[in-house]
Amino acid sequence: MSAPIAVAPVIKGENAFVRAVEALTTFFGWIAAALTVVALIVTCQMIFVRSFLGQSTIWQTEAVIYLMIAATTLGLGYVQQMRGHVNVDLIPMALGPRARRVLAYAVLLATIGVSSLIAFYSWDLWHQAFERNWKSSTVWAPPLWVPYLAMPLGFGLFLLQLVADLVKLATGTEPPFGIKEV
Amino acid sequence: EELRLSHQFAPGDLRHKVAQMVADDVAAANVDLTIKIFPSGSLFKATEQYQPLSRGQLDMTVLPLSYAGGQRPEYNLTLMPGLIKSHEHAARVNASPFMGEIERILNEDDVMTLVKGYLAGGFASVDGCITKPEDVKGKTVRAAGKGFEEMLQAAGASIASMPSSETYNAMQQHVLQALNTSSSSFVSFRLQELAKCYTPAADVALWFMYQPLLVNKTTFDKLKPEQQEALRAASAKAEAYYLEEAKKEDAASVEAFKAAGVEIAQMTQADFDAWKKLAEESSYKQFVKDVPDGQKLLDMALSVE
Amino acid sequence: MDPLTLGLLVAVTTIVVLFSGISVAVGLLLVAASFLLIFDGTRSLEMIPEIFFADLNSFTILSIPMFIIMGAAVASTRAGADLFEALERWLTRVPGGLVVSNLGACALFAALSGSSPATCAAIGKMGIPEMQKRGYPDGVAAGAIAAGGTLGILIPPSVTMIVYGIATETSIGRLFLAGIIPGLMLTALFMGWAIFATWRSGNTAVLSPRSYSLRERFEIMPRILPFLLVIVGVLYSMYGGIATTSETAAVGAVLCLLMAITIYRLWNPRAIWGVLRDSTRESVMILFIMAAAGVFAYMMSSLFITQSIAQWIAGLEVNRWVLMALINLFLLVAGFFLPPVAVILMTAPILMPILEAAQFDPYWFAVILTINMEVGLITPPVGLNLFVINSIAPNISLRTILLGSAPFVGCMFAAIVILCLFPGLATWLPNLVMGPI
Ligand code: NA
Ligand code: NA
Repeated sequence: MSAPIAVAPVIKGENAFVRAVEALTTFFGWIAAALTVVALIVTCQMIFVRSFLGQSTIWQTEAVIYLMIAATTLGLGYVQQMRGHVNVDLIPMALGPRARRVLAYAVLLATIGVSSLIAFYSWDLWHQAFERNWKSSTVWAPPLWVPYLAMPLGFGLFLLQLVADLVKLATGTEPPFGIKEV
Repeated sequence: EELRLSHQFAPGDLRHKVAQMVADDVAAANVDLTIKIFPSGSLFKATEQYQPLSRGQLDMTVLPLSYAGGQRPEYNLTLMPGLIKSHEHAARVNASPFMGEIERILNEDDVMTLVKGYLAGGFASVDGCITKPEDVKGKTVRAAGKGFEEMLQAAGASIASMPSSETYNAMQQHVLQALNTSSSSFVSFRLQELAKCYTPAADVALWFMYQPLLVNKTTFDKLKPEQQEALRAASAKAEAYYLEEAKKEDAASVEAFKAAGVEIAQMTQADFDAWKKLAEESSYKQFVKDVPDGQKLLDMALSVE
Repeated sequence: MDPLTLGLLVAVTTIVVLFSGISVAVGLLLVAASFLLIFDGTRSLEMIPEIFFADLNSFTILSIPMFIIMGAAVASTRAGADLFEALERWLTRVPGGLVVSNLGACALFAALSGSSPATCAAIGKMGIPEMQKRGYPDGVAAGAIAAGGTLGILIPPSVTMIVYGIATETSIGRLFLAGIIPGLMLTALFMGWAIFATWRSGNTAVLSPRSYSLRERFEIMPRILPFLLVIVGVLYSMYGGIATTSETAAVGAVLCLLMAITIYRLWNPRAIWGVLRDSTRESVMILFIMAAAGVFAYMMSSLFITQSIAQWIAGLEVNRWVLMALINLFLLVAGFFLPPVAVILMTAPILMPILEAAQFDPYWFAVILTINMEVGLITPPVGLNLFVINSIAPNISLRTILLGSAPFVGCMFAAIVILCLFPGLATWLPNLVMGPI
């Protein structure tokens, strides 16, 4: 399994496409971290403004929520590249090398399938919110297409990284499930 | 045939009882129609009911209509300070051309109303009673509804937006000094344990929120005539019940706060007028600015005697 | 299809899919989407992004990445080592000083970190080599840190408790308080076992206390002071009327980052990026699972499986303690394989009505559930803490780590039994501080 802290060596791709995708998802990994830091600062600003200045805090709570949603979805591709999404590899461990390779393809393709589905429908949702000018029902009332945009974008990046992983698997850069054959 | 009804309220809540009543009566009518209720947000979250309803992914819901105010700003008028004066007045508003206009907008989103109903509410605070605008000056308040937030801010309060699940702790720690919500929510949040003073909806009341039972229009139109008839009959009966019970909710909340030894304050007509004047300069003004034809709609609402 | 049969089909499918090596979040989305498509039609598929968004659309969620940053920031410094060194110098008369100090340091560190792996890594990096050097058996050293690390989710703050609070709409401030006494009790049980195991290994010499001069004892104080100040700052912010529980998490993260940067000289941008990268990785992973589990829960509710299972169990009319034993067994098995976040979010909608009907206190149950999840962290096949130990102490074999951790699992079972006999251990403190429910 890939533990979030255990240091598994991440195998970088040699292929130009793979390298380009990984550079892109890494860049968005930084963005995700930066958004988290911004959320942290905004929360502290909110506490300060409310507790010590006694002023209204209209936009902060909502902004922080959207920042965290964006950090999560935009970070998906990067965390995939770092093999940070936890999995349970009981069946792959029990299989022989050939069957394991087949399963690795099946798992990657299924992951690509689900992510495409969400990317597609979230793009649809974004489009609706944009067309109909939906706003959040608060006093701040930001247009909803802005936070919604993080979903198609994030799942798009996730998809790109998954395709890059497929290339890595096909070219033999990385063994199936990262399990080295003995 | 089966219709799915989703709402955010607990099974003990009045709004669940209204939905349950409609479901029971429709079942008893023997027209091959059942309504399956998903309470407590077990299908869709509190603020996420309207969109699936309008897209036909959900058949029915009970919902504070102003939650959908981001998609249809006109709905914000169903939670405006001072617009509704009493439960009787609310019943007259429900039958007025103003509500007809709201219904027309609902229809545009493929939604129609089965049961109309308003719930009232008030203020609870952990220091000092809140009856008039000066009372909230400098206090941190959480209000339910955009129009109220704008009015309270104009009165000099600091508005804190936080999830309802955190209000109890926030009140306890004095992060929040006052809260404005519905009579039944006060009791379900157990705020009588913390509050020092409670200003309920009484003869004079400021806070009324429209919370109808809605159905997807296409779904309804596809039902057989006898099924539609059964649903309408059940809804009419539930609407009468809703109105009677809504009045009792206010009294019940006062009892709960009294029993907990909380001071009960009354809003006078002069207080109400001061709030309304403030609302006219803040939330009403903002509404007219945000909504095309807003003035016309506001005038229609205000013209109901 | 009858919802219960459908539920069985979902359960089997989910197990097969999750064991296939697919990531947990995607596996949940895959199962949810497939069942929605087959039994609910395409109209439900359109809903997935909205549900995904709605499940993350909560301010409380902020506290998860924030409490992770707290732990990661401090774990990147040598604060963990300072902590157990200081404890050892002060606990001179306690037998087995070093292993006891390490466990104590885990408990203290847990008060700053919302996650278990971070607690494990922070104390274990220096603690395990030091214990080995002094002659503690490898199994005891590794097991104590693996188990001590699990305190990260029992002693507040705790990501698991936050997720539970979100799923069950219970007060997170109260949940945190409920974990304190059971956390300390479990620490004591761990210490007891560690001393006994060391003594049994025949190497009694390491147990005899070392003596430190008064000077040595006071010399180390300045190094743990900031640590204690941060804990006090967080508690003051949370319970003292400054901020809500979720907001406090951000205060804690800032305090810990400041402490790491100013006192432990974490100037290097690369090191700060390392902290942010590790926390982003962990929190994205957790939040992705949360949103996916939300979509899964929607599928279960939409197909009426959740409601049917809850009704079915409620209709069994078994004794409430038999029920509790069965729930524990179920949580234990689920926890063996799945991360705590997924277990909580997938089971909460089913368990909550049952617990309410059987009149179990939701805060007490949160503690029971958390201890079950702790067991999962140090048992195969998926035990996060075991892998952390394996990576920070590569010279100890996985087998030794496993065997060394097993008795600590026994301590956790003991804790569950004690909590069932004396529920007040979990409910007394929250009732005292926040008033009865
Ligand atoms: Na902790
Ligand atoms: Na496990």
